[in-house]
Amino acid sequence: MKQSSLYKILFLVIVVLPVASGLVYALLFSLGIIGVLKQGFNVDAWQVVLFNKPFWSSIGYSLYIALVSVGMSLSIALSIALSWQKQLQKGFLSNAIYLPLCFPATVMAFFGFHLLSKSGLLSRMSFNLGLSQDINSFPLLIKDSLGMGIIFTSILLITPFFIILFASLYQNEKIPSFVNLAKTFGATNRQILRKVIIPILLKRSATTIYLFIIFVMGSYEVPLLLGRQNPQMISVAVLQKIQRFNLYDMPQGYAMSLLYVLLILLILVVLYLNNNRLFNHQNQ
Amino acid sequence: MAFSCGENKKQEAVDVLSLSWEDIQQQANGKTVTMMMWTGDSKINSFMKDYIVPKVKEEHNINLEITSGQGAAIVQVLMTEEMANKSQSDIDLVWINGETFYQIKQIDGLFGPWTDKIPNSSYIDFENPFIGIDFQQPIEGFELPWGNVQMTLIYDQNKIENPPLTRAELEAYVKKHPGTFTFDNHFTGLTFLKALLIDIAGGNDALSGAFDKEKYNQYSTELWNYIKKLKPYLWNKGEVFPENVAQMHQLFAGGELWFTMSNNDAEVDNKINEGLFPETARAYVPDFGTIQNSHYLGITKNSGNKAAAMVVANAMVSAEAQLKKMNPDVWGDGTVLSLNKLSELQKNALENIPQRRYAPNRKDIQHKALMELAPEYMIRLAEDFRKEIIN
Repeated sequence: MKQSSLYKILFLVIVVLPVASGLVYALLFSLGIIGVLKQGFNVDAWQVVLFNKPFWSSIGYSLYIALVSVGMSLSIALSIALSWQKQLQKGFLSNAIYLPLCFPATVMAFFGFHLLSKSGLLSRMSFNLGLSQDINSFPLLIKDSLGMGIIFTSILLITPFFIILFASLYQNEKIPSFVNLAKTFGATNRQILRKVIIPILLKRSATTIYLFIIFVMGSYEVPLLLGRQNPQMISVAVLQKIQRFNLYDMPQGYAMSLLYVLLILLILVVLYLNNNRLFNHQNQ
Repeated sequence: MAFSCGENKKQEAVDVLSLSWEDIQQQANGKTVTMMMWTGDSKINSFMKDYIVPKVKEEHNINLEITSGQGAAIVQVLMTEEMANKSQSDIDLVWINGETFYQIKQIDGLFGPWTDKIPNSSYIDFENPFIGIDFQQPIEGFELPWGNVQMTLIYDQNKIENPPLTRAELEAYVKKHPGTFTFDNHFTGLTFLKALLIDIAGGNDALSGAFDKEKYNQYSTELWNYIKKLKPYLWNKGEVFPENVAQMHQLFAGGELWFTMSNNDAEVDNKINEGLFPETARAYVPDFGTIQNSHYLGITKNSGNKAAAMVVANAMVSAEAQLKKMNPDVWGDGTVLSLNKLSELQKNALENIPQRRYAPNRKDIQHKALMELAPEYMIRLAEDFRKEIIN
């Protein structure tokens, strides 16, 4: 057997099969076909999920959090990667930038909680500096409707990835040569940044950016600890249905998770079809 | 095949129950029992690890292994095993309360009736409705009472001189001190809501018995109207609630909240001893009362070590173990034993445990104890709380 065929089979067995089995299980459970408390084939759970507000508001809220987090993270990462190119190549910063990657999401979420809550570090500093009169006059930064705590922690989690990615792309894509070329044509620094550096970096990392948006959309620990009960991010809302008091809510949880997967797949297919060349180019 | 497998299980169950206690002990010798329990409290974990585990090893040569999981997690494991047609469960013993008891009964996941079989059950106060009835469900030998607690509200006496005792006083308090009171979005918060619901319905026994939809609809409407009146003055304007009681404790310790709650009336002592709460923290029960309930041990229907699980459960309700558990420095959990059934020596020991310093004496709050409601009340309250308040 050819080695490539062996890898394909291994990929199917290790990656595709378990995921596909999980999706089939979720589908059968949501339709009342399997499960200890199964009630026979019915589409009740799907009707509730599709035609009621909570699922769609969770999807919308998750997308909002993901877009804002990744957008802000990209801006910060681009600024750092371009300002500190040399420091990121060698020296203390080149090693230190890997440090935040060691922290799991739960730890970062606790850090966010202790930093941003009304009894947290910032609140205490603000009180001691006379900026806030008491604990309740400090603004609500976690469990707030805009999801600032979740966005802040997500940025902390994903920005180092982008800094490392951009720093390495900057060298691998030979951007310094393009910059010199642009300079010889008389481009200003601003033009070089806007027309040369940023387009190359963003185009070459487009797939990674899409995947990070999906990653943040599906995050669980951070919104569980720092988010509010309404609106909820999708993973928290699904787990709530599957693991709360009413066992008869479980089919709804499975229907929600399946619908979420289908939506994400649909978005990926649309992105792939629209950016076919880009995806292929990145895989070369 | 499936039929014969089911027959085997039934046969095994019958076999264990038909054995004498001596034979059960003999069968338990050298076995490993896996117990799934909530492991979110360091004191409870230490009690299990440093006291119960060595005790059953020394006395019965049983290896007790503790695995983490509570409520829904236990139900999920049992449901998955049932669906996979697993003949022997990975879990033998479970620590549960009425809500999980109701769920496991729905999936027929518990073994029993077995509690009459163990010698120490004769000392248990089954006649006490707070012990013998779980969320209005007769336990019928399917779960063994292990501990008994009453919910308390915890406040800082440095900040509050006279804590609110009635619904009206609570409303006045939150209006006077906005942002300092809330309740969590999980079990403890729902238990608090149940106490308010009972008060609105007319006090103790007003909602006892099976779930009554009409009564629920009538009184829950009043409850939500009351909570809506409090909402603008709750922590973060009632737009968000702490996810669980641990988060509430943290907010209380940090000074953001002036109140927290506990389902264990002695927990304030634990938390002060641990240094989490200030020494000025005190626990009390308002005049409208709080829920008193028991927590239990169950044996899974597909446990392969039922005999050993029974021996472990027996050791856990022994007078010696209950005495140890009652000590506020160890756990502070109330006993399920009837003092009248114990020897004078045991009775004296239980009556003379180190006193609680910051929690109210159990005798002083007993008259304010409310019975747990049928599980459907909690399911509906959780659902409607989302619709009516968190929206």
